[in-house]
Amino acid sequence: MADSTAPARFTRRTFLGWWMAGLLTATVVVGLAPILVYLWPAPPKGQKKLPVTVALDKPLDQLANGEAVKFDAPTSPNTAFIMANGGGDNAPGALAFGGFAVKDTNGKPHVFAINCSHLGCPIAVNTTDSTFDCPCHGSRFHLDGTVLHGPATAPLSDLSWKQGSDPKTIVVDGLELGF
Amino acid sequence: MDWSSVSEVAIPHPREIQVAVVEWLDERYPFTKSVDEALYQRVPNFANAFYYCFGGMVFILIVLQLLTGILLSLYYVPDATGIPAPAYTSVQFIQNTVYLGWLIRGVHFWGANLLIIMVLLHMARVYWTGSYRAPRELNWMVGVVMLLLILAFSLTGYLLPWDQKAYFATEVTIKIAGLPPPPQLGEFIREILQGGPVVGPPTLQRFFTIHVFLLPALITLLMYVHFRFIRAHGISEPM
Amino acid sequence: MDDRIIDKGGPGAATAATEIPIVEVDSHGGHVLEPEWKRLPIGPDHILYSVVVGLALFPILMGAAGHHLADDMPDEDTHPFFPDHFWPYPIIAVVMLVAVGLLAYFVQKNLQLEPSADPRAATIPRPDWYFLFLFQFIKLGPELFMAVVIPTVAGLALLVWPFIDAIAGPRVAKRLGWKGWPVPGRNIITGTGWVLFLAFIALLTLWALAGPQFCLPWFINNPVCGA
Repeated sequence: MADSTAPARFTRRTFLGWWMAGLLTATVVVGLAPILVYLWPAPPKGQKKLPVTVALDKPLDQLANGEAVKFDAPTSPNTAFIMANGGGDNAPGALAFGGFAVKDTNGKPHVFAINCSHLGCPIAVNTTDSTFDCPCHGSRFHLDGTVLHGPATAPLSDLSWKQGSDPKTIVVDGLELGF
Repeated sequence: MDWSSVSEVAIPHPREIQVAVVEWLDERYPFTKSVDEALYQRVPNFANAFYYCFGGMVFILIVLQLLTGILLSLYYVPDATGIPAPAYTSVQFIQNTVYLGWLIRGVHFWGANLLIIMVLLHMARVYWTGSYRAPRELNWMVGVVMLLLILAFSLTGYLLPWDQKAYFATEVTIKIAGLPPPPQLGEFIREILQGGPVVGPPTLQRFFTIHVFLLPALITLLMYVHFRFIRAHGISEPM
Repeated sequence: MDDRIIDKGGPGAATAATEIPIVEVDSHGGHVLEPEWKRLPIGPDHILYSVVVGLALFPILMGAAGHHLADDMPDEDTHPFFPDHFWPYPIIAVVMLVAVGLLAYFVQKNLQLEPSADPRAATIPRPDWYFLFLFQFIKLGPELFMAVVIPTVAGLALLVWPFIDAIAGPRVAKRLGWKGWPVPGRNIITGTGWVLFLAFIALLTLWALAGPQFCLPWFINNPVCGA
């Protein structure tokens, strides 16, 4: 045992201790790092952003105030829409498999992603109250996307869109998923 | 040929063979003694109360889940591409076409439900008799970790049939897992769990691997630790 | 038994130098075993011995038994593990197996699948019954707190519960003028806390089960409805 009052010396024993600790750390790092990298999902082949032309059941300009139509992302090739903004559980760049084209009660057109900003369940139109209702945890939204009833705190996400060449269609930013 | 010498060979009674085998083992390892110690150890009479058997029931059910799970994996296909997905049709196949498939899948399903009930009852018993107190704190902690593993089993197993409710329930679960701030961390957790930008085929593949390889290995290991602790501590005195 | 001499020929005899030393383990570690004359006559010469060995393998794998409560108890307060303590378990196993088999046969409704997963189809997802309380709990406040922070804190508290109990318990006992913690046979405080916790979970589950038309006033997101 070394005398505690003696100045600390770098002995063979301390060197071996550090050596072993260093080896162990290196082993763990060398072992774990590739595993973590391996777990990170690779982009599937053929995944690419593209504008998606969606045909609406009813052209946007023919919608009455307070009317909404649901539309789905194309299935072949399997494509999702990209959210333009969003709070809560939605975020810019997050994906949605459907949306609503809606004219709010003031007559302003919106195109929303279908996912509730609370925990992402697909919302549905409540035609009697002219609201969007989430079937999961009971969040409700006005037709302009703002929150009417919690637990959601953030408004619905917009999709970035523009009117298509055909008045029945809109063009929405999408991502071809590659599977 | 002279058969007389052959006829003189005494054919040993099976019992003598067994005794010889046991003796052979005994010379190399304290075999009979270990068996005796394991079997004829004395147990306090209070441990005969019915609520002391919940832990044993959990063990029996876990073994049942492992067995039926292996059987189900013979037909299950963890592939979620397309609608209907092969995963979905393979579960339909097990349920409707495979001989006694409904039984194996039903036992796995109901066994899981019963398992949750028994785990909760076992936990309530341990709590109620104060069996988590010193020196058994570590075993309580191992037990709580196993409870979390069993909940993870249920979560991952819920997705495997790849039907509507499985898909959307898992989507909510993954959203919840991705809640911790900052958003980058949440996004990281989600991507790792989903194996992609959305819940899709890679998600099913990952959940299948967790449900079928990772969790059974972990729970088997922890059960071993749990039982070793019990063996070292013995049954606790009820309060 | 232990002092016999090895002089047998056999497959191992050619390589064994002289004799195989018998592995010695001192007595039975201070444990009181069932006396031999009271045991079932399933010894090494019995046809069922292999079954018994299979049964014993389990505790053997679990390592040496520590000094147990039963070792200090009078004989009339204890009983042997086999068969007195063991016999209900095979019955329990068979009963449970039959029960889940009957459930599988008669309640196939729960096993019927919904349509194959389609991210574009609208649906009303519900968790399994044991997660229903959490499902309802999430509605009662901000999602991060209700879905992540509080369950994590509750889980951690459950994990370190023995230490919480050991630290807080004696203080409570002191304040109440009890001699010890817990007062033997009276697990009042921890027991009440546990019952309240379970009651809360049960109420949340019932609330969820009551359905979307069953709404109760709540501090935020008023009113909150069932699932």
